[in-house]
Amino acid sequence: MTGYVGDKTTGFASPASDAIEGPIDLTEILDLRRPSRYPVRVRGRTFFSRGILDGDVLIADTAGQRASGQLVIASVSGQPILAELRLIKERWWLVSGDDSSSPILVDPALDVDIWACVTGVVREHP
Amino acid sequence: MTTVYGLIDCNSFYCSCQRTFEPRLKRLPVVVLSNNDGCAIARTPEAKALGIKMGDAWHLVRGERKLAGVQWYSSNYPLYADMSRRVYQVLLDHVPRVEPYSIDEMFLDLTGLPGDLTERCETIRQQVEQITKIPTCIGWGPTKTIAKMANYIAKDRPEMEGLCDLTDARTRQRFFRNLPVGEVWGIGRRLLPRLNDAGIRTIEQFLQADTALIRQIMSITGVRLQAELRGESCLRLEEMAGQRQGLACTRSFGQPVTSYEDMREAISGFAARASEKLRAEKMDAGHVSVFIQTNPHKRADGWYANHAAMTCSPTNNALALIDLSTRLLRAIWKSGYRYAKGGVLLNDLAPAGRQASLFDVADQHSPDLMDAMDAINRRYGKEAIRPLSTGIQRSWRPRQGMLSPRYTTDIREVMEVRSF
Repeated sequence: MTGYVGDKTTGFASPASDAIEGPIDLTEILDLRRPSRYPVRVRGRTFFSRGILDGDVLIADTAGQRASGQLVIASVSGQPILAELRLIKERWWLVSGDDSSSPILVDPALDVDIWACVTGVVREHP
Repeated sequence: MTTVYGLIDCNSFYCSCQRTFEPRLKRLPVVVLSNNDGCAIARTPEAKALGIKMGDAWHLVRGERKLAGVQWYSSNYPLYADMSRRVYQVLLDHVPRVEPYSIDEMFLDLTGLPGDLTERCETIRQQVEQITKIPTCIGWGPTKTIAKMANYIAKDRPEMEGLCDLTDARTRQRFFRNLPVGEVWGIGRRLLPRLNDAGIRTIEQFLQADTALIRQIMSITGVRLQAELRGESCLRLEEMAGQRQGLACTRSFGQPVTSYEDMREAISGFAARASEKLRAEKMDAGHVSVFIQTNPHKRADGWYANHAAMTCSPTNNALALIDLSTRLLRAIWKSGYRYAKGGVLLNDLAPAGRQASLFDVADQHSPDLMDAMDAINRRYGKEAIRPLSTGIQRSWRPRQGMLSPRYTTDIREVMEVRSF
């Protein structure tokens, strides 16, 4: 039998028939139907300290607001990277997760641009 | 209240979708090819500047030295469909009613919206570009035909900065004086010579022409077009596509099909796919036709094209439609030719489950099998299971040599970012 969700029983009436809420829908929780949401996959582990590992799926939001300390997807000379956005002396910088590289100034004229803000992380096989 | 319609159009839509997920393409010439990697169907301005024309055959121009830096892509329709959905949804955040007219053009109902329309349309453009990374142009005016015209002007003239307002009759008059009548929505290559013969070259001349003359040349459609261009709205906004009249599944083959067995597999596959679309729309079909043809541009190899059709008791069952299509194929098949294209067309569509005629045998196939097949394919991906008659090797499958990932519809193919 398909379509049974705990409500319509054949014998004794289900006392829960008015209380059906359905399974948890991660698409809804991560708001993936919103036009600005794009899943992307991380390669590398420099953001280990922020709990982001190689192979994780991040939920990127292209409508997000910039904020200092926020993780963002940026394009640097055409390459998409995951970086921390930081406001230093009224200018926006891309900062490495493990200080292995020096910060990069956000400036579309230098081909450095923010693509989206990171709003969530999904790990399939921890 | 006077109506105001807008038309928003995505610039080089397919190419722009590729750029969204590959920022390195930003200033490079990008071209997207038709099914089978045949010819150019979308070009960025950089590619147009290199002289690539719409419909240029890729295999003929790919060797040219000046095109060495061009980034070529096979068409990736799952991606384009999802990006079109995103554009549509962003638009619905800003205007109450949107008509998805084509995958890259949408009509907006701007009637009675408060505030300055130019400002609103500029905001819409910025939002669409921020969220989807796709650049657009918007034109607007009192009718859909004028909105389409305004959009053309916005796109054609860089000094308009992507926006064109034709709500004012005097502004329209100024543009219409010099615009060729061939740019009007619905006036194609067939009609243009006849209008020109009657001395009608500009839109202004078209508007001033006698209604009787226009009716004689292009029937009532032309009279309506005159009214629309004058600012009297005849075409309304349609928020949903109407019920479809027929459904087709046709393909050009990746390499010529020469054997009956291969053709039968291909035709079975088209019938299976068409029936799947039918079931998704809860329709059935009472008329099936099949066609096959050789390459019309290579008549030296011999040329043959034929089709056959029959009515049937209404069905949407894959096995029933494969059976009918195969019978039709047998009637038109001729060996000794190199076939380039084939297809299955379904007609006489109606909501599924209608009464078969008195003398028909009702559809004897159980719907359970189709329900199960559709459920499995929805869960495990397209064609996870399919009728064996659709083939295993399928050497005739379309070429897609430069296919990009399905960035937004398959979790295994999403964009990768390097952690900095």
